[in-house]
Amino acid sequence: MTDTLRLPAEAAFAAELEALKTGDDSQKPNGWVLSPKAVLTYLVGGKAADGTQITPKYIGNRRLMETAVATLATDRALLLLGVPGTAKSWVSEHLAAAIAGDSTKIIQCTAGTDENQVRYGWNYAQLLAKGPSAEALVPTPLYRAMETGSLCRLEELTRMGSDVQDTLITVLSEKMMPIPELNSAVYASRGFNVIATANNRDKGVNELSSALKRRFNVVVLPLPDSMDQEIEIVSRRVDEMAVSLDLPVPKNVSEEIARVLTIFRELRGGTTGDGKVTLKTPSGSLSTAEAIATVIGGLSQAAWFDGGKLTPESLSPNMIGAIVKDPVQDKVVLEEYLEIVLKKRGDYAAYYAALTEHL
Amino acid sequence: MSSPRKDSRVTYFGVRHHGPGSARQLLDALESLQPEAVLIEGPSDASPLIDYLADDAMKPPVALLCYPKDTPSDAAFWPFAVFSPEYQAARWALANGRPVRFIDLPFAARFPDDPTSEDGSNDTEDPSSPEGTGEENVPLIRDPIGALADAAGYEDGESWWSDIIEENPSPGPVFEAIGDAMTALREGEAEIPKREMRREAHMRLEIAAALKEFEGAIAVVCGAWHVPALRAAGSRANDRQILKGMKKQKLAATWAPWTSARLAFSRGYGAGVAAPGWCLHIWQCHDHGQVATRWLARIAATLRARGHIAPTASLIEAERLAITLAAIRERPNPGFEELRDAAVACLFHGEASLWNLISDELLIGWQIGEIPNDMPLAPLLEDLQRQQKATRLKPEELERELSVDLRSESGLARSTLLHRLNILDVPWGTLADAGRSRGTFREKWALEWNPEYSVRLVENLVYGPTIEKAAASRLADRLKKAETLSAAATGVYDAITANLDEAVATGLEVLEEKSALASDCLDILRTLPPLGDTIRYGHARSTALGSLPGLMARLVTSCAVELDYAGRDLDADASGAFAGALRGADAAVRLVQFGDAIEEHWRQGLERLVDGRQTSPMVRGKATQLLYEAGDISGEDIASLLARHLSPGTAVADAAAFFEGFFDGIAPRLIHDAPLRESVDEWICGLDDEAFTASLPLLRRVFSNLDRMERRRMLDAMIGRRGDGPSGLVPVPGRADVWELQMATLNDLFENGGRRP
Repeated sequence: MTDTLRLPAEAAFAAELEALKTGDDSQKPNGWVLSPKAVLTYLVGGKAADGTQITPKYIGNRRLMETAVATLATDRALLLLGVPGTAKSWVSEHLAAAIAGDSTKIIQCTAGTDENQVRYGWNYAQLLAKGPSAEALVPTPLYRAMETGSLCRLEELTRMGSDVQDTLITVLSEKMMPIPELNSAVYASRGFNVIATANNRDKGVNELSSALKRRFNVVVLPLPDSMDQEIEIVSRRVDEMAVSLDLPVPKNVSEEIARVLTIFRELRGGTTGDGKVTLKTPSGSLSTAEAIATVIGGLSQAAWFDGGKLTPESLSPNMIGAIVKDPVQDKVVLEEYLEIVLKKRGDYAAYYAALTEHL
Repeated sequence: MSSPRKDSRVTYFGVRHHGPGSARQLLDALESLQPEAVLIEGPSDASPLIDYLADDAMKPPVALLCYPKDTPSDAAFWPFAVFSPEYQAARWALANGRPVRFIDLPFAARFPDDPTSEDGSNDTEDPSSPEGTGEENVPLIRDPIGALADAAGYEDGESWWSDIIEENPSPGPVFEAIGDAMTALREGEAEIPKREMRREAHMRLEIAAALKEFEGAIAVVCGAWHVPALRAAGSRANDRQILKGMKKQKLAATWAPWTSARLAFSRGYGAGVAAPGWCLHIWQCHDHGQVATRWLARIAATLRARGHIAPTASLIEAERLAITLAAIRERPNPGFEELRDAAVACLFHGEASLWNLISDELLIGWQIGEIPNDMPLAPLLEDLQRQQKATRLKPEELERELSVDLRSESGLARSTLLHRLNILDVPWGTLADAGRSRGTFREKWALEWNPEYSVRLVENLVYGPTIEKAAASRLADRLKKAETLSAAATGVYDAITANLDEAVATGLEVLEEKSALASDCLDILRTLPPLGDTIRYGHARSTALGSLPGLMARLVTSCAVELDYAGRDLDADASGAFAGALRGADAAVRLVQFGDAIEEHWRQGLERLVDGRQTSPMVRGKATQLLYEAGDISGEDIASLLARHLSPGTAVADAAAFFEGFFDGIAPRLIHDAPLRESVDEWICGLDDEAFTASLPLLRRVFSNLDRMERRRMLDAMIGRRGDGPSGLVPVPGRADVWELQMATLNDLFENGGRRP
């Protein structure tokens, strides 16, 4: 038992990584701890050579993971795109853990991230005392990853300013970072690479310049394909969160999750579950993460105000909040959905009534 | 099937239908074997047609088309692409002067226990299945190599084939190996369908006959699946027993142009391949190699042609990624799956939807085959002649009129034929009163035949062997490409008038899909009238409309929800268009009679338009009018509504637009609707001079729609000749004389704008 709230992937899954490493006799690219095939097994699950069960880290399209691993094996940088809640950071962490054995070289990009946090900074006391020198230079995670031939993770790449993003161009194409102050440069060791994550449907982000985008191979992580898969993800997260928030979980929660998800998935996918009616899609992403937040909001409402009963009334304000992101356009979409689809479904009558009332 | 046949003169080439790898290997094998005769799996009664393949004017994809002489709708096709092994084998034999023939069961063969009914209505059979029914249902028979590839974890047989077979340097053993693999696959198989048994028996007999006829080596080119059965020695007597009772019908056969799309498995061709475009690419790349590089270059070219940016540097990265992907998937070379994944990651920035946009063009392709002009039979022309006889319509080059009554069977048949020909771009007849005779049972056609139409008709062979089938598939094509909802609705209407149920079904699907994606309320409004017509007309023609009424009801509902958003803040042109579409849609909604719930929705939508603060005035006027006409706004309410929207507080331009929207088309109503008339009168009298002058063009526009008679009656009503005029007005003495003068001036004003001609 450890006091750390959450261990990095390479520590949490040390046993699996070790088992894969022992049985891994395929060729490894320079600087890789595991071979690409073993990395793939680590991500999508399977068995190590000694029979150790490897849990799947990513449940979904195997082809995407193959592309991601193959990209890193070609020294091209990898960009994981997707709406919130599609396991981008999770995949990035596990890729780094499996390939470099270290997922902690990470730069969290924000609107306030400047070049000093991406390239290198200065120890100003040293700088003032001795002028620019190697001792006065403060390396960033990217700098260290280049030196040691390891992987650097950039979280939410598009949240930092475009001008700062573009400092990566030289690093990615020439695998070196000039240090003009010292008239030198740091050259990346073999094994160095970059994994970035970004939202592709979000507000307040800075478009990637095409020069930078071209230097990444992009893998878009989709929302879960199957209803059952998504119900499972949502139920598990709702249970976990309810425990940590001390919210009582009523018995009917799984049914309501199924109904909420049905509505979300139908709107998101633009077609009814039976495929008979095509629908318009709202502007929001209606991701799995939003479904989780909706249900948690409903649980909270139920626990504090509705006497512990989870009803469509407790869920519908949150649902409307998730669906209607644009007050005009999305409202039409929802109204249409209510009139065309939900009204005719007997078991959704309460939702129809509650949503219509709150809209 | 007992001991293998000992005759070493026969070499069996088990191929993959439409497999470029097979075709290439086969050519090499034939070159080294130099057989004296080539036997190909194909209907033996069509053998004489093989010679046409030598003609250079024949450009694949083409299809061998066979049909019973008297029922062309029972046609079957055997498509050949340039990369089909059968095609290449035939070309090789013809070029080298070796006899070549088909050895499969004759197309015209019929057996006593055949399910084919005597009445010739066997059109449930997929016309594009080359080997008749049955085969498509058994995946192993349909694509045995694909089945093996599937077992090895490949997405398509071609990649597996190129991985496993093409790596092998010596071609002879390859076909030997395929034969062995198939033998293993077929071992312990359950009883195969009777038809398959007969086909194999027939092929065995033909091979035996060829052995007698020719001295030297004989090459047999057949689906890999059949190799073990053909190799096995059955007694000839036994084979004859299997074929006992075979009768032959009268057969007509010809070549027809084909399209690459219809070689694709996904387009309903059971024995097709997943990606004809990729097959063609592999075939074309044989001489230069660099399959992956050239494929990526084609992807880039396609992207650029559509205005996307595809940097060369990204192509290099895509190829590197594809090669690494192939390594991770343990394949020797990248196949189209790896190239697709790599292109998505490097070229499309992860957007798989962009790939979907161009995948058809690349993987399916748009090639259309050509046939020589002197091809003996043109089934479409034959079909036309037959139908001309049946409907007693003669092709004449002089224009003449024809009126048909759709209630009579002959009239309906004539109309259907002409409509279908129109779909095929053979406008023999043009509808004189194009469409606007809603709900009538009569059509007026102008007939004029042009010899050029025969040529056009033959070009349509690519769509099908009969006028009905060709029209259906051509219309379905058009529907799938329709860009707007109203275009799709018009297509459905055409399908109904041409009595093409399949196209109607396709059209409904397209409509269904488009209807949800259509965000343009105006487009939906414009779609409603043709849909309404279709529903009405469909009843007149007793066509199955399936879900159309439901679909239209849904469209009405969704449109009603959106009306007040769409009707906001429109400029003069846009609100005019919107008001017009609104009127048409309203008529359609009332015409179809959906029942209370939907009509209530529609009414509420209109009400929201009337009440909405931001609704454009002309649209508001139109909505008010529609509700008023339908009796949903009472006489008193209308007066107060008019008073409000025409009141001095409203900007004159807005009031005028409202006025125009309201009165457009119903001006005659002023004659006998006193409260309405009074409200209008009040508004006009309340205008100050400037505003009145500003409104004059508008007033003129509204009232000029009245004819003289109506105008006179209205003035009578206004001035009160009938005694119920506004009180307080004292008739001018001697008004009868002045009256005529006034009337003349007014008429002139309304009709000529005050300028005497």
